[in-house]
Amino acid sequence: MIERVSPVRRAREAGSSIRPRLGVVKFASCDGCQLTLLDLEDEFLALTERFEIVEFAEATTNRSDGPYDVLLVEGSISTPEQAEEIVRLRRQTPLLVTIGACATAGGIQALRNWGDETDFRAAVYAHPEYIESLAFATPISDHVAVDAELRGCPIDPGQLVELLTSLIVGRRPQLPDESVCLECKRRNAVCVAVAGGFACLGPVTRTGCGALCPAYGRGCYGCFGPREQANARGLARHLQVVEGRAPADVGRLFAGFTAYSEPFRSMVTELGGVAAPGVAPGGGPARESHDA
Amino acid sequence: MVSAPVATVDPTEPIGFLPRPELDRLIEALQADGRRVIGPTIADGAVVYDEIASQADLPAGWRADQAPGRYRLEHRGGVRLFDYVVGPTAWKRFTFPPRVPITVGHRDGGAVTFTAAERPATPLAFLGVRGCELAALGIQDTVLMAGPAVDSDYAAQRAEVLIVAVECVTAASTCFCTSMGTGPEVRSGFDLALTELDDGFIVRVGSPAGADLATRLSLAPVEPERRAEATAAVAATRRSIGDPVDTDGLPARLLANLDNPHWAEVAERCLACANCTLVCPTCFCTSVGQRSDLDGQESVAERAWDSCFTAGFARVAGGNFRPRTQDRYRQWLTHKFATWWDQFGSSGCVGCGRCITWCPVGIDVRAELYAIAGSRSGARAAAIAIQPPPTPTPVGPPVDPATMPHPPALATAPAVAAAPKAPTSPVRACIARVVSTRPESPDTTTLVLTDVDPAIVAGLPGQFVMAALPAFSAAPISISRYRPDGIELTIRAAGPATAAITQLGRGDQLQLRGPMGRGWPVEAAYGHDVAIVTGGIGLAPLRPLIDAILAERERFGDVRLYYGARTWHDQLYGDELDTWAGRPDLEVALTVDRAGPEWFGRVGIVTHLFDRATWDGSNTVAYVCGPERMMQATVETLGDRWVAQDRIWVTLERHMECGVGLCGHCQMGRYFVCRDGPVFNVAALEGIFGREGI
Repeated sequence: MIERVSPVRRAREAGSSIRPRLGVVKFASCDGCQLTLLDLEDEFLALTERFEIVEFAEATTNRSDGPYDVLLVEGSISTPEQAEEIVRLRRQTPLLVTIGACATAGGIQALRNWGDETDFRAAVYAHPEYIESLAFATPISDHVAVDAELRGCPIDPGQLVELLTSLIVGRRPQLPDESVCLECKRRNAVCVAVAGGFACLGPVTRTGCGALCPAYGRGCYGCFGPREQANARGLARHLQVVEGRAPADVGRLFAGFTAYSEPFRSMVTELGGVAAPGVAPGGGPARESHDA
Repeated sequence: MVSAPVATVDPTEPIGFLPRPELDRLIEALQADGRRVIGPTIADGAVVYDEIASQADLPAGWRADQAPGRYRLEHRGGVRLFDYVVGPTAWKRFTFPPRVPITVGHRDGGAVTFTAAERPATPLAFLGVRGCELAALGIQDTVLMAGPAVDSDYAAQRAEVLIVAVECVTAASTCFCTSMGTGPEVRSGFDLALTELDDGFIVRVGSPAGADLATRLSLAPVEPERRAEATAAVAATRRSIGDPVDTDGLPARLLANLDNPHWAEVAERCLACANCTLVCPTCFCTSVGQRSDLDGQESVAERAWDSCFTAGFARVAGGNFRPRTQDRYRQWLTHKFATWWDQFGSSGCVGCGRCITWCPVGIDVRAELYAIAGSRSGARAAAIAIQPPPTPTPVGPPVDPATMPHPPALATAPAVAAAPKAPTSPVRACIARVVSTRPESPDTTTLVLTDVDPAIVAGLPGQFVMAALPAFSAAPISISRYRPDGIELTIRAAGPATAAITQLGRGDQLQLRGPMGRGWPVEAAYGHDVAIVTGGIGLAPLRPLIDAILAERERFGDVRLYYGARTWHDQLYGDELDTWAGRPDLEVALTVDRAGPEWFGRVGIVTHLFDRATWDGSNTVAYVCGPERMMQATVETLGDRWVAQDRIWVTLERHMECGVGLCGHCQMGRYFVCRDGPVFNVAALEGIFGREGI
């Protein structure tokens, strides 16, 4: 019920000048989504006037274990410590917002969920015995309740501002769950699937990026994850039966940053497409399927 | 060379031949008039419509290979400019842009202002408008300008468009204009029309502006051979398309197949991505989004293209009226080919084939129509012919169903079946002020408002207003009482917008637009008994009706109010219920779903209040408001008491954004619930009331 809570307004109504406490934390991730907050630049300064940033390792040496009024969580749960820490953090905040494909879908590291985690560990680390990690990389929502999600790899700065604004104003954040195609058509981009023959996940992927990839002449790779009513099976069938693509190529298309989200997950499981540990790095096959 | 001024305009008669190099003269003339010339040009592997500077920008020698889900440009050489047929762009991009700011809202403490965000119209010339596209512009003109509500942004821009049409001398495999009666010939609706030959264009004029333009061109006389060649080329195009869609009786055949299992089969292929609706030159549905500064003091409401395929399109606070893809596909197809006739007097499809080409999985609307609705002449015709004709459409102000005009059935005369639009009193906007507030239940508040526009204060019981605060979406709210100096609104905090409104205090302002929709027909119950059946907040829109009945109580027989609520705390208007219950001329029966220690009355659903009553319903008129399932159950129980369906009136909830039948969200079968409802006669809802996914 994020839309019913307005921390800023609540503070004002209490006659207080205290700003709501905003925390930004991360788990298994690259920090890119947190950096989106810093990249806001102009709005970021205005936001610091409305929120007290008590925890944000990329921006301040101030640290806080909580409590928070709003907590932005980046990254997926990949280690036993993280699985405990997220439960502790959930108790520290009334509003927990996950940001980015790792936090909302498991991220690229969730591709290990289709293999043997010990094999991956052995392939990557000289001393795999030093590494303690879980067999599965999982989204935050597999562990605790989540109040809102910002999708994407990375998240969209406009959606981040919209979320924080709606928190202040007390309205429902406008985070549409429709397909990328709507934004693609509104911005007058020519369909890369129909006119270019690209395999494009746009029809089954949630909008929010502004149709960035199709507008630059490549297929959507689904970084915002499946949209509501995503008919991944229908798209997969079309790509195989009508366009004659190999099942593994189609599976690989879904095996991206949000592969662990249903229904993409079922497509990857059924069609394959995740390379085993030790296979040539660089994600070559996946890239080919987008650029074909 | 002749360039004689044209005294009278005959759009069928060529007035000259424009040699190919002279096309630039035409473009220059349009530009000299201060118009941006929009025409076909190549971008990103397709022929799109964009601003062009000269003939050199046009796709000379290019053709497009089009098939379901596939579009490929091919350079075939030659000089022809218009052999590409149609591409992904529809002209509506320029007359009905994807994003348009509508209002700017400002909030300063409790004071609010709204100003219209008017855009200056741009003088445009469209070069290369096909027959199907002319028809599409005409359809959008009807939808957006023919009233009762007018899209002022569209109207302003549309008035600034000059049209140079082009007849098709080649067709794509996806074309079916011939079936829809829109092309390939171009007969009217243009300023200037061209038919392309190798060495130039046959020119016709269709308007005084076109005639004026023609006088500025160096036209040669039309030689008979050229004229014959052009006619033959267009005729050959017609033959190559054939007649792929049997439109004979199509609306009735489609509506008779609402439960066809094929809808679910399509939904397995359909991605509900909305591409078909966005490339469609007639689709007009939009949503309004809010952008605001960080504190919500300044906000801009922006209208954007939306689609009946999105999740949010039919969603209300309590759920989604079309949750499944098959519901959405059925809405799209039945609207385009059937209920559009009722609403606007034409098909919503012009046969341009864009929805076929640009469907990423190649769903072909021609094949789906045949699979679902069959063909009048085909094997399925016998089974289809016995389906009953559609139910009559109530039109105009609320009337007694006995005297309601019956429009001609669609099955026999689709071209004239359009229901005249409900004459709606002009919708007014005003900034109203809160005089007082009264909590009714834990989540429901009544606002007493003043500074209300007189047109709203003079509204009817059952009508509603769109209530808005800056930075929030507008919410449809039924008027719960008319007062000499204003109105009352009873609002449940179901979402953020309604929550913000219920938090307003004395002196705070909000914007109202209204009065909207059709109200309860009070006079339908003159001389009859009255049963009012309602639940929860459903009592709010019925309160003005009760007020109206009590104001002229002698004109009615027995009057009964049956009211159910979740608990005693959720009953609205507690003091008034007591007052009403104390009247000898009003029977009041109350029930709750869950009783507490303070409740000594009936427990159970509202229909249990009268399913064993002794009154005879054959002389009763009923007014019902509540959740749709409760209203269905009530209609059934009333039927058991011999209350005829055409004497039962219900009020429906749907997603509403504009309130005046322009945004498309609240469609239910042939109706716009905001404009044709929200109060409906149950008999007029036959086949759709209570149907899942409509």
